[in-house]
Parts: sequence; C-alpha cells; structure tokens
Amino acid sequence: MSKTITTTFSHLAVGVAAALGTGLAVPALAAETTWAGYVENATYFRDGVGLSKFRNTGQAQFETVFESDSLRSLKLNGTLRGTYDGVYDLNDSEFGKDATEAYLGASWHGQDTSTGLLAPGVPFPCENDPTLCNNLDGYMDHKERDAKFPDFNDQLDFIRELYLSADKELSNGDVLSVRLGKQQVVWGKTDLFRVLDVINPVDYSRHNIYDELEDIRIPQWMLKMEWRMGANEVLDDSNLSLVWNFDKFRPNNLGTCGQSYRILDAGCFFSSNLLGVPIIHDVEEPSWSLKNTQLGMKWEGVYGDTTFSLNALTYRQQLPSLHFRPNTDPLFPAPFAADGVFDIKFPRVNLLGGSIDYYSMDMDAVWRLELAYTEGEEMPRDTDGHKETDMLRYVIGFDKNIIIPELGTRSAFLFSTQLFGEHILDHEADMPNDEDNWIATMLFKGFYKNNRLSPQIIVAHDFAAKSTVIAPSVSWTPDNHWMFNVGLNVKTGGNETFPWSAAAALGADTSGQTEPLARFTNGPIGVANQEDEIQFTVRYSF
Amino acid sequence: MLKKTFLSAAIAMTVAAGAQAAAIPEEVIQNSFYPYKNEVPSVQGLQPGMTINQSNVDQFKDALDPGMYRFVKNGDTEITVGETTSYDLHPSYVEATRQYSADVQLGEGYGELSPTVAGRPFPQEPSMDDPRAGEKLAWNYKYGYNWGDSAAIMPFYWTMRDMDSGKKERTIKFNFHFLNFTHRTSQEPYPKIEPNPSELFRGIYVQVLEPFDVKDTQLLIHRFEDDTKVDNAYLYLGFQRRVRRLSTGQTTDAFLGTDVMIEDFEGYNGRISDMKWNYKGTRYMLMPFFNHNDLQLDSETHQDEDGYQVVAFGGKGGCFPNITWQLRKVYEVESVPVDENHPISKRTHFMDAQTFTIPRTVVYDRKGEMWKNWVIGQAHPDHHLPANKGTGVAIDDAFTMIDSQAQHCTTGQFKGIVDPELSPVDKFSVQNMRASGR
Repeated sequence: MSKTITTTFSHLAVGVAAALGTGLAVPALAAETTWAGYVENATYFRDGVGLSKFRNTGQAQFETVFESDSLRSLKLNGTLRGTYDGVYDLNDSEFGKDATEAYLGASWHGQDTSTGLLAPGVPFPCENDPTLCNNLDGYMDHKERDAKFPDFNDQLDFIRELYLSADKELSNGDVLSVRLGKQQVVWGKTDLFRVLDVINPVDYSRHNIYDELEDIRIPQWMLKMEWRMGANEVLDDSNLSLVWNFDKFRPNNLGTCGQSYRILDAGCFFSSNLLGVPIIHDVEEPSWSLKNTQLGMKWEGVYGDTTFSLNALTYRQQLPSLHFRPNTDPLFPAPFAADGVFDIKFPRVNLLGGSIDYYSMDMDAVWRLELAYTEGEEMPRDTDGHKETDMLRYVIGFDKNIIIPELGTRSAFLFSTQLFGEHILDHEADMPNDEDNWIATMLFKGFYKNNRLSPQIIVAHDFAAKSTVIAPSVSWTPDNHWMFNVGLNVKTGGNETFPWSAAAALGADTSGQTEPLARFTNGPIGVANQEDEIQFTVRYSF
Repeated sequence: MLKKTFLSAAIAMTVAAGAQAAAIPEEVIQNSFYPYKNEVPSVQGLQPGMTINQSNVDQFKDALDPGMYRFVKNGDTEITVGETTSYDLHPSYVEATRQYSADVQLGEGYGELSPTVAGRPFPQEPSMDDPRAGEKLAWNYKYGYNWGDSAAIMPFYWTMRDMDSGKKERTIKFNFHFLNFTHRTSQEPYPKIEPNPSELFRGIYVQVLEPFDVKDTQLLIHRFEDDTKVDNAYLYLGFQRRVRRLSTGQTTDAFLGTDVMIEDFEGYNGRISDMKWNYKGTRYMLMPFFNHNDLQLDSETHQDEDGYQVVAFGGKGGCFPNITWQLRKVYEVESVPVDENHPISKRTHFMDAQTFTIPRTVVYDRKGEMWKNWVIGQAHPDHHLPANKGTGVAIDDAFTMIDSQAQHCTTGQFKGIVDPELSPVDKFSVQNMRASGR
C-alpha cells in the first residue's frame, strides 16, 4: 500500500510560483506526498548458457500534490530506480568483461568468410582495449560496473523521472498544462515495436524488446505544454501539445559487447576489428546546443467513435548510422581508413504522422492505425554503410475481448494483434532491409481467479527475417503485494544471410554472409535466435 | 447551503420559464416522489430495531428478495430492521418532472424515447397490463436522480474476499466521478452542458490509486443520449501510459478481477436497448436504506481529516455490510440480455420506487441459476457528510457483490460527495486520462 505524508513546503512554493509565473501569493504550500514502489528479482536462464539475468530492482515513486488557489493542480512527481544485475558476478564466463567469443556473432550464427575477416567483439572494450574505448567514447563504452548497476551513471539514470506539473484553467474554461522535468512522453499505442512512440530513446540492454516500454524508455529532460480545449461544436475533445526535449541527445542503448542482451548484436560488431582496423573510428554524438534539441507537436481529439492525433517531430535518429571512412593513405593497402572503418552518426530526422482509433460497433472491436513518415533517416547499406532515405512506418492493430466459457473462465480473454509495416522509399539492392517488411504480433491473455492468475502468450513474426518469437507466461498475484511470474521466451530464425562486399573483395566470397549486414536482415528476433529462456520474476509492491 | 438554495430557485425559475409541455397531475407527482408522505408500509410482525435471522426468516420471506432470503436462511448474515424514511429527491428534479414528463413517449423499438429534457420520464404508477412497463421503469432509472448531476466517490475501497475463509485477497482503492451532460436540474449549467457534439448523456470516470500493479489505471465511459448507440469506453493502463479504446466485451467482464462487471455499476450500467425489460410487480420489501452516521462504522480501512469512516462489513466471509434495512416500496423488474452470448441469462432488479436507485439485484447465470447478488446500500444524504445534506441524493454508501457459486465476494466502501467542483467537465475527457496518468 502506498504511504501518504503531509508536509508544508515554503521554499519550494516560492520557487514553483516564480517558475510558473502564476503569482502564488501564499508563503507556504501544504503538500501531501504519496509513495509507492516495489522490489523485484528477475532470474532468467538461457538454453546452453545458464544464468542470463539475475536482476534485482528497487523502484520508488512519489507524488507531491500542492494546494494552490490559483492553479487547478500543482504536482511534483518522481520515480527513483536502482538495479543490480548479478549475472556478471554469477556467470562471468558467459557475460562480463572476460566473456570472449570464439568469433564475431558466435551467439547467433555459425562461421563463414565474414567471421574470418572480422575479429570477435571485445567485451566491455573500456575494460580491455583503450583504443576501442576511446573510439567508442560516449556510446557503447560501458564498463562492466555500468552493466551491473545500469541506473547509476553520469546521466543520473537512477532518477527515472522528476517533473513538476501544473494545470491552469483559463477564463474560457480551457486548461493550460505545463510539465517540466525528466520524464517520458508517450505518443502512440503499440506494443513491442514503436511507430510514433519515439520521443524517448529506449534501453534495449535491459531485456531486448520484451520489457514494458515504461521500464526501458530512457527519460529525458523535457518541457511539455498542453492546451486542452475540450469539446467544441464538432469534436468531443481537442488538445494541442508541444514537447521540447532540451536534454542532451541520447541514442538507444543497444547493449555493450559482453552484456547479456545486445539487440542485433550491434555492441560486439562495434567493438570488432576488420583486419586489425577498429570497426568504429568515432562516435559523433551531437553535443548540447539549442539547435540540437528536439521539438514535437501533437494535435489530438475525439470525433464521434474515432480518436485521432496528428503528430510532427524533429528529432535525432536514435539508432546509430554507420558512415564509411575511405582510405586516404596510399601506403595503407585497404579501401577503408587505417584508424577505423566507420564513424557513428545520429542524423536529424523529421517525422510527420498520425493515429486513428476506431471502435466498430458491428465487430465490437477496436481498430488502431498509426502512421509515421520520416525524412532524414539513414538505413544500413553495404555501400558507404548507410543511405539517407525517407521512411514510411505504420501499424494496424485490432483489439477484441472475447468470452470463451470452454476455457474455464467467465472473464473475457484479450486478443490483440498488430501488423507493423516498414517501407523504404529510396531502397537499394545492397540494403540488408527489404524495401517492404512486416512484423506481426499477437497477444492472447486470459484471467482466472479474479484476475490473480493470468496466463498469456505473445507471438511475433518477422516476415523478412523468417523469425518468430513465442513467449508464453503465467503470473500469479496472490494479494496486494506479491506477484510471481514464470515464462518462456523461445525464438526461431537467424538463418538469413546477406552479401558483404568486403568478403567478396578480401575473401573472394560472393555468397551471402552472416556478418555484418545480415544482423539487420534477421532483425531483433532472428539475431536472438539462441536466446531461448525460462524466466522467473518475483515482485513485492508497497 | 446558500448556494444550493440559490441554485434550486434558479432551476425552478428556468424550468418554469421554459415550460411547454402539459402539466402532469400533481397526484401522480406526489405518489411517485413522496410515497411515504401519508403512511409507511408495514408487514405483520416486522418492527424497526428487530433482527431477522435463521430462526425467523421464513416469517418475513415475502419481504425479502430471494437472494437475501437464502443468505439469511443459510445463516450467512442477519438483517437489522430500521425505520422507513423518506428519501426526498432534490426539488429541482421533481419540478423538472412536473414540467417535462407529461408527454414523454416510448419509441417503437427498444431504447427509443421521445425527446426528454430532464426529470423522471414516467412518473405514473406502472401497470401489469402495460407490456412495456418494465422498459419505462428502466428509463426512470436511467434518467433518475441517482448521483444527482455530478458527484464523486473519493475514495472508494473495493475488497475481494474469499467467502469461505474470510480472507481479504486484494483491496483496490479508487476515485469515481459521475457527470450528467444532459438531464441536469440542480447544478449549473442546466438542463445540459454545451458544447456536446456527440450528445453525451453521462460520463463515468474511474481512477485507481492502489495497489501498485494497477495504480494509475483509469476508465472513462461515455454514454450517449441516443440509447441505441454503444457506449464509448476508454482504458488507460498506468504501466503502458496510453489510452486504449475498449470493446464492449470488457464491460461484461470482471472489472479488474473483481466480482463486478462494468455493466453492473450502480445497479445497471448499460443501454436500455441491450436488455428486454419485464415488470414483475410492485412489492414492499426490506431494502438497504440507512443513516450512515447512525451505524457502527469501520475505523480501520479509512481515516481522514473529516473524521469520516466507511461502512463496516461482517457476516460470512465479511461479505455483508453492517447496515440497517427498511421496508420500502419496490418495483421488481427483470432484464434479459438481447445478446445470446451475454454471460448472464437475466437480472432481477428491485428498484426503489421513490429514488429509482437499484439497491438490490439478483443475477442469474446462463443456465438460469442464481449466480450473484448485488447489494448497494443507500445512505440518507442528511445523515452523511455535511456536504451531502440537502442534496436529495440517495448516497451509494456500501456495496457487496456476492458470487454464490464461487463463494467469493467483492465489497465496496464509499466516501460519496455531491460537489460539482470534484467532477468538472474536463475530467471526463480522453485527454484528462493522459494528463492524470504518469
């Protein structure tokens, strides 16, 4: 149960009043603070590997509600999280700074010409290779300690969220809302994959794509302003919001080589060498400046049975883009530079998109559509490592609740399916991603014993990768405090190859390769094909 | 108090100025709204202050619904009899009935009604000879004064209990808010809130405060003036931080794992057109009506600076509210789902004739066997929180939904407050769900 504490904030009141310019005249604000949180252990075992996660998390969140005569509401919210993953102490032969691989990509494919040319990734390069560590400075340069304690770093990630929000009712009844601080701003309504929900970067090193986005979005310091106009003669609800992400840019965390979850195995590729030359020469992370901040705008509303949004965002690509560095040294006998093959860049991206939810009375089901068109993205390519192209992403979702008495419960089952599509407008033959690809997901969740026992199954299939993940699980919530979950996570795929010109040039092998490009073809499911796991989680909430 | 008086006078003047319909006979009004003005009902041997238990329940079988009779007969609970008291609805609602209800007509199909403004649509006494009497009573419930024009339950404790062991499995702490967009009589603006492009009739907004795993879950239901239109329902899940539309399949599902469906809220929370309504007769029955301040209350579950305490529970498994029951005029109405796949076969509602609340409902499963019993205790507003005095709202104050087949129950403990400031219009918007979430 949450705890409530009533206090008086005099200094903070003055600060809040000044910050918001609301003219609060009171010398002190009575405030009520509510705390809640949990401690959790997640222990996962991977087939053939053993322990893959022994994550212990403590999270506490608070909300302080201030009394104010001039504001509709004034609140301070915070979420603090501390994590220790003991897998690096308990299974250090598989994960950690000493966990070397026989060849690059040994965790997901066999050997071929490409693995003969590329050296195995260096685990935690900042523990083992100063040159690589220097090259990767700012990205994928975690030390083992950072993986053990991922929340305690220079970015103060243990502060998951800390924001002040205030609502002011205008004279015409509209509400102006301001939220300032470290926060998550969620656009879109998808599971597993994202179309519009791209404002916060994501930490995939926590558990690939499978943890709730709530837990893996990387909160950013942002200002969110909303003008809630409510109903008008046409719309039942109308709202205009502005998001200014003024934090220093942070890309998605894909997992450093040596970590137990590294999506696309990118971390090991980045800490690899090609014939002794580091794959990555430099990471050009945008420094903080006003022009490097990110800005979004959304107009959303309700029209009859339809809810909709129109979205615009200018931001930075959160996935790294590889820029090839040609050789300029006539004495160096290779087409790439002697001090590093690629630079990593994060280009500016402009997004226009929208979403529609429609309730179909005839089907008694909800259809969801999200669409995002971007310009400025750079997609991986054999030539030059990348190509800038416009992209179209979309998802069609279908949600329905079905009562199936034959399954022994009077509660409805939730059936939710999504089809994600991606279209590369300026596609090239040497791009490892198909011009069009689709990923289908399905969630089937049931409820027994007053929702305390809940089995579910998640299935996702990547059509181009020919890879599938099946994740059945059962959770048991005996009371208000305890939750136990046991699940399986089984993947297939990872067999796709893609020709690599370097293999053709250096190894005279023109057949398909596993490295480095096929990681994109196989996608996050296929690359993780050796990561079949049984997963146990126990949580105590307070 | 001054404000309420002013509002009452204002609505009376407004209603009078806008009156177009023929006047409804005053005798009908008096009979409908003040049934205990001249005398209170009586049953031989039944006296206020007495207890009905296993030993004497057969004597009063006719004054009990079949569910409560069974519980008392089994020794699961006892009934303490209180005095019959009048729950006078707000004068503005009575006045609106006088002015607007004379020419209200049912449409040809279920769920169709001629345009109405406010007040009780069919104040006339129902007749067994009228094949659509049940439907008229259902409309009286839908457009009843219920929680008034708006109200909030803050907080609202729902506890799931094992009836055999008495173990409290889970307690969910909510805030509930209700707002009528139309058919308003006592809170400005009346008779309707504008703009209202989709012609919403009512909004229900629910926010979960505890426990952690469902904290910040929010539910928003929009019911339309057009009863043939399916409610729009939205769910915000705190851990997903997003609003999703609900299909109606979820409104007949166990709400957050409790024994209560969204469709059960307040007695019946669906469209008139979703059911076939059959009037089964008028009865004088013991109903859960009481004075909150006169009860022995629960001092543990809730404490606040008002000194307010919620209704205590006892009996088998702690599934029964420790309240008093009074003999009242009741309309027995059966509702049969139109949808053959509906999880129940029928409900038998016992509508209170004066307030048109539904304090008792017996729910039958698809085989026709008694499944659940729904008790919503009604507290007199003048013997509750000071803020509720004079509001004319029968305050929902304690509930239990007992699943007899599973020997399981969900109990509800309320702090109901009739205060328009707690339920502003923008609280019933999709955007409010996003803003109120994390």
